[in-house]
Amino acid sequence: MTHRFLSHHDLALLAADLVASGTRVIAPVRAADDLEQIDYLPIQKLEDAALGVRVTRRSLKEFFLPPSEVLLQYRQTKEGVEIREVPTVAPPQVILGATPCDVAGLEIVDKVMGWDYRDELWFGRRDATTIVSFLCSVMDHTCFCTAVGLAPDSSRGTDLLLIPVEGGYLANAITPKGKALLQRCPGATDASEAAIAGAEAAQQEARGKIANNLAAIPAEFAGWLASHYDHPVWKTIALRCHGCGACAGVCPTCHCFDIVDEHDSSEEGARRRNWDSCQTSKFTLHASGHNPRQSQSERFRQRIEHKFSIYPTRFGEILCTGCGRCARVCPGGMDLPEIVGNLVALSKAEPEGSAQ
Amino acid sequence: MSDDVKPGTDTTWTPKIVAFVCNWCTYTGADLAGTSRLKMDPNVRVIRLTCSSRVNPLFIIKAFERGADGVIVSGCHTGDCHYSTGNYYARRRFAILHDLLDFMGVENNRVTFSWVSASEGNKWQEVVNQTTSRVKELGPSCVPLNQKGGE
Amino acid sequence: MKELQELSRQLLADDVVKVVIGYEEGPRGVRAAFITDPAQTGKLVFDKRCVQNLATYLNPRRKQVAQLGKPAIVVKGCDARSVAGLIREKQVERGNIVVIAMRCGGVLENSEVDSELTSETVSVRCAGCDVRDPKLYDHILGELPPEPPVNPRRTEQIAALEEMTPTERWSFWNEELARCIRCHACREACPMCFCVQCTADKGQPQWIDPSPTPRANRAWQTMRVLHQAGRCVDCLECERACPEHIPLGLLARYVADAVKKRFDYAACEDPTVPAPMGVFRTDDDEEFIR
Repeated sequence: MTHRFLSHHDLALLAADLVASGTRVIAPVRAADDLEQIDYLPIQKLEDAALGVRVTRRSLKEFFLPPSEVLLQYRQTKEGVEIREVPTVAPPQVILGATPCDVAGLEIVDKVMGWDYRDELWFGRRDATTIVSFLCSVMDHTCFCTAVGLAPDSSRGTDLLLIPVEGGYLANAITPKGKALLQRCPGATDASEAAIAGAEAAQQEARGKIANNLAAIPAEFAGWLASHYDHPVWKTIALRCHGCGACAGVCPTCHCFDIVDEHDSSEEGARRRNWDSCQTSKFTLHASGHNPRQSQSERFRQRIEHKFSIYPTRFGEILCTGCGRCARVCPGGMDLPEIVGNLVALSKAEPEGSAQ
Repeated sequence: MSDDVKPGTDTTWTPKIVAFVCNWCTYTGADLAGTSRLKMDPNVRVIRLTCSSRVNPLFIIKAFERGADGVIVSGCHTGDCHYSTGNYYARRRFAILHDLLDFMGVENNRVTFSWVSASEGNKWQEVVNQTTSRVKELGPSCVPLNQKGGE
Repeated sequence: MKELQELSRQLLADDVVKVVIGYEEGPRGVRAAFITDPAQTGKLVFDKRCVQNLATYLNPRRKQVAQLGKPAIVVKGCDARSVAGLIREKQVERGNIVVIAMRCGGVLENSEVDSELTSETVSVRCAGCDVRDPKLYDHILGELPPEPPVNPRRTEQIAALEEMTPTERWSFWNEELARCIRCHACREACPMCFCVQCTADKGQPQWIDPSPTPRANRAWQTMRVLHQAGRCVDCLECERACPEHIPLGLLARYVADAVKKRFDYAACEDPTVPAPMGVFRTDDDEEFIR
């Protein structure tokens, strides 16, 4: 990989060039309702972005799996029913300034989206998107990306990784898309020794900042969760959880959805797919009236089992990027890194067999 | 009709008004208006319910969502409710709904609450015609629109 | 704090209650605590970071909490009104709970960071507080603090909205509610939203579309706040829970003010006082009715 260098000015020009060519550019931006908070929003110029300030409130998920999207529209006429499907080819977009955890999350979810059925809407947007991630410098004590096998400088899932150095960024093109994007920057040069060293130092510093957060989750944890499904710890682990699903909304890897048919009038309507969450009380409610997960303890156990045991077993990936948003948003004070840390400790203290 | 429509709006637009009326008083009053051949704007679709108290605010919201430009809710005068007290409870409910709809941006003139008794055919005519002209002035309702996301 | 810890220890040790629902330190400020072991009562805290209304944990749908057994619950005066509401609406029996009321001089808007209580840092819900000395309790603790500073922000926002034309208000709410993802965190966090089947969950017929479209979101929020009329205690858990930061507190306050103006009623600590939407006066105002 050749290291290239982009100055701040080069990046601004790139952003302007993309916008001018009709590409949607999404970057972290100060929230209108609270300037201290950052959201991923479309920008018109690089100046609008607030890079390296703080973890965004929501993940990148909504640009690939929107909170609500139309799958098809129907209209009933005298001749019969007309169906209008939505296009699966998406307009081009560039994410500028994503955190590595959010980007890795997309690649992790790709596995289930391409598993038994290829989700054309998800992949249509994935194919149309080029991702420029930045070395993370906004970690706080709630982050735990290193615990789940990622890092502040992870290049998983990204097309172009930018590491802030003196005067600009060290630019590492990871994929052909990333290379193509770099080629749109006439000012890009080969990186100097100093820039490369500066980047290395920045990476070390970032890793250092997160070193005291949650320790790496051992490989045996997935198996322990599966064999300790009936452990009494689950009964009291989620007492303060409201079952609201706010955690699923902000999570980069939660992807459950509900499909509904809705009338707009007696003749027309749409089939939509909407975000859903296993934490809501009716998530597993059967048409018969039976609900296999009747209590919040069972529903929260499912969250942990899915993310740290079932998904890893099926796809070889932990369904979590350690971004910490679930803990930050939770109105009930559920702290996932704390809970996982406690469960890991328990798994080490009680490694054998199923518990009583 | 088209003279009253706001400039810029579709001049073929006529308002759709849904009326939720109680069976005992207003429905009978409306019937009387009809048999008396009183001239009324033809834009109102009447839905008959047992009592004004049966009106769930959801009905009004749903009516707007499905394309109503205005809503009339009408029942017996207080003290005359067929079920004695239904309209007293309804009155409280409607009061809060009236305030909240206005706060959310649905103009007060789109929703008319009235007490019309079985013998008040003329009053029903007034309620219908006044509501229709107020709604015409306001133009089509924004409530069914789904501008952001969705489609 | 020591009094609270000692009282809780006593209640648990004497088996008066099986669990004390209070506040404890968490990784991000204070959070709800469920103490079942008398030896753990040292974890309980009470200070101006204790914003959360814990009454929501008395909701009988929360089976895993109910299974713990008879609770003692730590409440501020404002939270005690939710407890009264749950008793009034027969969700909780007075004899089945022990209420530990704490005298309170205001709580912080942002409870993660402990800071001084000023008119900018204090929660908007503390404005006009008249329950610093709670009336609903089995035990009452703490010294009576001075009145909290007043955070005028919400009153100003509501006044600004009332100045607008209906069209401008429509745009405002459309903009805000377009962000709603229908996670229903507002409902789940609310102490008074205890319905086993919410109107919004009903499928046959479907009154409120489940999709987070602007139209359905408006219907959802309008109905939720209407169902709260006269029952909402303005604890702002809905607003705190919302992951999209929608100013739901504006709706809550507006409806509470409408209820006060029209029916001279505000949610109170006395469960025997009936809630306004379930009663009527023959002389209720009807100037809005033609």
